[in-house]
Amino acid sequence: MTLNLCVLTPNRIVWDSEVKEIILSTNSGQIGVLPNHAPIATAVDIGILKIRLNNQWLTMALMGGFARIGNNEITILVNDAEKNSDIDPQEAQQTLEIAEANLRKAEGKRQTIEANLALRRARTRVEALNTI
Amino acid sequence: MVGSISTSWLLSSPSNSKSVSGSDSFSFLATLKPFRYYPFQSRSQDRISPRSPFQSIQIRAGIRELRERIDSVKNTQKITEAMKLVAAARVRRAQEAVINCRPFTETLVGVLHSINQCAQLEDIDFPLSIVRPVKRVALVVVTGDKGLCGGFNNAVIKKANLRVQELKQRGISCVLISVGKKGNAYFSRRDDVDVDKFIEGGGVFPTAKEAQVIADDVFSLFVSEEVDKVELVYTKFVSLVKSDPVIHTLLPLSMKGESCDVKGECVDAMEDEMFRLTSKDGKLAVERTKLEAEKPEISPLMQFEQDPVQILDAMMPLYLNSQILRALQESLASELASRMSAMSNATDNAVELKKNLTVAYNRQRQAKITGELLEIVAGAEALRGS
Repeated sequence: MTLNLCVLTPNRIVWDSEVKEIILSTNSGQIGVLPNHAPIATAVDIGILKIRLNNQWLTMALMGGFARIGNNEITILVNDAEKNSDIDPQEAQQTLEIAEANLRKAEGKRQTIEANLALRRARTRVEALNTI
Repeated sequence: MVGSISTSWLLSSPSNSKSVSGSDSFSFLATLKPFRYYPFQSRSQDRISPRSPFQSIQIRAGIRELRERIDSVKNTQKITEAMKLVAAARVRRAQEAVINCRPFTETLVGVLHSINQCAQLEDIDFPLSIVRPVKRVALVVVTGDKGLCGGFNNAVIKKANLRVQELKQRGISCVLISVGKKGNAYFSRRDDVDVDKFIEGGGVFPTAKEAQVIADDVFSLFVSEEVDKVELVYTKFVSLVKSDPVIHTLLPLSMKGESCDVKGECVDAMEDEMFRLTSKDGKLAVERTKLEAEKPEISPLMQFEQDPVQILDAMMPLYLNSQILRALQESLASELASRMSAMSNATDNAVELKKNLTVAYNRQRQAKITGELLEIVAGAEALRGS
């Protein structure tokens, strides 16, 4: 019995195949999903998704969204998703530094909101590279 | 010495071989050599092309210039034809990109509906769906990056301007977010319009990243209450020859997942419209089909990991992103379609111009040969006579 995972972003399908287990970061903490999980609907935070295929873990950075877990069918809808193999380490590090600098410079409610979001995204991408 | 001046001038003039409308260079040539070449007639006479081939256009120029012009028109024709084919290939890919969007939008809207039914949250307001009295409106204007696409960019800019005037008359101030190099160039020159941000389109096809940039901006503007309403101005892809700039209300979002036009006409997101490039009678045509998505059944035992309010809160940005991306993609498809038709017209014009030039060239050539023959015969007669 395997789980069927579908990760969708607005412009493409990032993942659509069977997996053994996933670990998802939600607003209320990380949840692990094994086959025959109870059906739930949850919001997905900007964080890491870990996928296990036959004792091998794969990491993906998710930029926030929504997940629905049904009868062995997981559908994750996110704004953007990147596999850790697709992220360039240097570029991710640079983006993180730029985001941190922007947050320090931010003035006013609006710029702070934007800068915070950008920082969380950049941090997630760097984390995706570091976790195995 | 006189001949050498003219040839060196011809070789060194850069505009000669490139532009088909370099009338100034030819009049300069006329002042150099007033007796050898006839002055170039005005451009209007070239363009007036009467239907009958025997009623010739008055193209008077030397044989060499005509030959060069014919070559340059031929090159231009090759370029425009290639651009048309490239645009046609890209329209197909643009349509595939829209098709790829569908799984996301379908699932999202389906879940939105079911959660609404399950939770009956009609009376709770989310940050993105708060309806405030409108004092300030943000307009996101989507234009293209490159030119040579007919009236595409102008149509969108004109529509945006109209809307700004309308809102100003009602006493509502406007702020603009311009997407695309053409719009950026235009709005950066205008001082009476307040522009918040200039965004360049990245790469050939819009991706979720670009939509995210716009969404972030719009989100922060709306949530920090700097604006009370966000509208999106883009071109809807109607058909290969027609594209329509439209204005859609982006924020505040309606709870039922409808996308509303400014006039208040709402389209249910479940009945999405799809356009498809097909071939009808051997010509490319666009078919629009309304697809009724099946509302997916949600298991009644579905539990919510978090508060339904939080879950809906997380889904609204997704919906915003997908709307923006859809608008960007439709805009791109219309830009490609109008480039296709503009380049096709340019190719047809080039063919006709080449034909006219060739006729004039042949006439000149034959006149020259006849002249030489007459001279020889006259000379021979004179010799024989004396």
